[in-house]
Amino acid sequence: MKISKSIYLFFIPGFILYSIFFIYPTLSALFYSFTNWDGFSPSFQFVGLDNYSRAFTGDSIFIKSIGNNLQFMLVVVILQTMVALAFALIVLKNTKTTIFLRALYFFPTILSSVSVAFIWSFIYDPSLGILNQLLELAGLGFLAQNWLGNADMAIYSLAITQVWFHAGQMLIIFVAGLQAIPQDLYEVAKIEGASKWQTFRKVTWPLLAPSATIVVAYTTIQSFKAFDLVFAMTRGGPNNSTEIIATYIYEVAFRGFQFGYASAISVIFMVIIAIITFLQFKALRSDRISY
Amino acid sequence: MKKKYSSVVLTLLAVLLILSGCAGESTSNSSSEGGSKTQINFMHWRGEDKAVLDEIIAEFEKENPDIAVEMTIYPSDQYMATAQRMLQEGSTGDVFASFPGSQFESLQSAGVFEDLSGEAFVSNFDENLISVGQQDGKQLALPYQLVFNMPIYNKAMFEELGLEVPKSWSEFQALCDTLLENGITPIAFPGADIGPNQFMNSMMMNNAPDEEIFAKLQSGEEQLTNEWWVKTLEDFQLLEQKGYIQENALGTNQDAAMQMVASEEAAMLATGSYHMASLIGLNPDLELDLLAPITVEESEAQYEGINTATFMLAVNSNSEKKEQAKKFIEFLSQPENASKYANETGQHLTVKDVNYETEELKNTAYWIDERKTRFQPRFLITNAQVEDAVLSSIEDVLGGADPMDAAKAAQKIVDENRE
Repeated sequence: MKISKSIYLFFIPGFILYSIFFIYPTLSALFYSFTNWDGFSPSFQFVGLDNYSRAFTGDSIFIKSIGNNLQFMLVVVILQTMVALAFALIVLKNTKTTIFLRALYFFPTILSSVSVAFIWSFIYDPSLGILNQLLELAGLGFLAQNWLGNADMAIYSLAITQVWFHAGQMLIIFVAGLQAIPQDLYEVAKIEGASKWQTFRKVTWPLLAPSATIVVAYTTIQSFKAFDLVFAMTRGGPNNSTEIIATYIYEVAFRGFQFGYASAISVIFMVIIAIITFLQFKALRSDRISY
Repeated sequence: MKKKYSSVVLTLLAVLLILSGCAGESTSNSSSEGGSKTQINFMHWRGEDKAVLDEIIAEFEKENPDIAVEMTIYPSDQYMATAQRMLQEGSTGDVFASFPGSQFESLQSAGVFEDLSGEAFVSNFDENLISVGQQDGKQLALPYQLVFNMPIYNKAMFEELGLEVPKSWSEFQALCDTLLENGITPIAFPGADIGPNQFMNSMMMNNAPDEEIFAKLQSGEEQLTNEWWVKTLEDFQLLEQKGYIQENALGTNQDAAMQMVASEEAAMLATGSYHMASLIGLNPDLELDLLAPITVEESEAQYEGINTATFMLAVNSNSEKKEQAKKFIEFLSQPENASKYANETGQHLTVKDVNYETEELKNTAYWIDERKTRFQPRFLITNAQVEDAVLSSIEDVLGGADPMDAAKAAQKIVDENRE
């Protein structure tokens, strides 16, 4: 069938919107990343690669924020994928109870991030917070912590909040992926005498790879974009221990009024996310199997 | 074929309509002249003052029937980021409020302040308290509120325990020891949010009495590893190690710290006078006053407390309604309107002849004229990254780091951000 050339005109509205809301801001950020623009002055100077060189050689907080972000991402990706998959396996069958549980697990996702931040700040409060009180009641008082005030612990506390907030969303993706696996493969595995672990490893996991790819990639991007939660709960503190790239960009741009430098960090940020996502896709695609 | 083309054209038209619809909305928002009235916009961050400002605006509109005032309020943490852009555009913020320090500097270099030097209403303000709004001899903004960024203490509790306001660091420690012996936490310190940026001011005011200290730090003349800042960090360390501030202070937010003082679990709240009204709201039986720790010997002390003249009122130089905007500031600076604002918001003001009616304002008004206070040093740090480094060193020490190591780490960031 011959496709009329006029069909390409249908791309134009989408392309216009994409250009306005993505291409133009991205190119703008790239342009300003080579300047010393302060964000409001009509004039600025081109500084070449100075902003990029400063980011890697003269800004210890930026380097720290990359480290914090990678730490946060690793904890969230591993924990969130495991939790979401485990719960997805529990609520896989369509019964009244599992449907209710799915809705329950999904519930945190519909809350606003600022509400989640307030709830968890209260839970983590070292003196009034429910977490330390529950630990005391359970006779585990020695585990009570200054969850957000301890510089060594704060990033993990934020990661747990992020997992609680988004695991339900990932659970739905896993449930959809699991339900798409043909039942006869499980029957064959059963007839062949495969154990539950072997069935999971040889049937479920390989066929779940497309869902896992989406979950891992999405979780990674979410971890890098966790600005709202971090900003509302710790503002990057104490002592920059929870400063992630997104909160640092905000600090540099809107408190430091260094939009040129903030744009350079944003470009680096974009490249980091692109590389990590590409590597993940590549790694997880190699696991894909079709029977 | 004709059908195909017409559907494409229709789609494009729909997109154009959507885009033009958006544009129309933006224009109507920026429209400011309504009928015979001139509408001016007042942009600020004090959402908690909206009710009383609504009343004052109603009075203003009654006196000036040709002017209408609308308010645009952003939360204080977003205000810095948002105000800048709005003000340059000119349609929002004919009258606006600015923070002193780095925001004032930035707005000043962007040229959004109209010079108010020759205006008659400037004389309604206490001239000793408005210098922070001046630049190159011009009065660009008029600070309205006067805040004391120093600990609030439970006066009745002190009297009951026979305690007097300490005049030296050794007396302050003795006072804290007595409070501890009586099962009271001396200082409730909200380390999770505003504690470090508020308490640093009184902790350093006599360790570094030079008001140029942070300007010198930013220019490289001074270092955080010098005695004035290391001593300040050592003093913070002492407060933490001796239990003068509560355990896990870095995880405590201002609400929890206020609760500690309201329930008389703690004797002092390391924030500022702006929390007095809220504390009275939590416990009406409290009798409160202000005190700042003197971290040196009595003979060496130069300052007794910290003040911040803030909520700096200004007229946008990009506004087309400057005269109406000035009329509104003049109205706010009249003693009867200022008194209404002061008493209903629980704030001291920089306006002369204000009649303070509430107990907590009356009891602490002596700090305006009778005590030697110093402008909040933190606001004299004009580089946000340097400010963060300074505050991080306090958090570092409260987290267990050695003061000199924390000072060195912070100095490294200061060096990286030197302009």
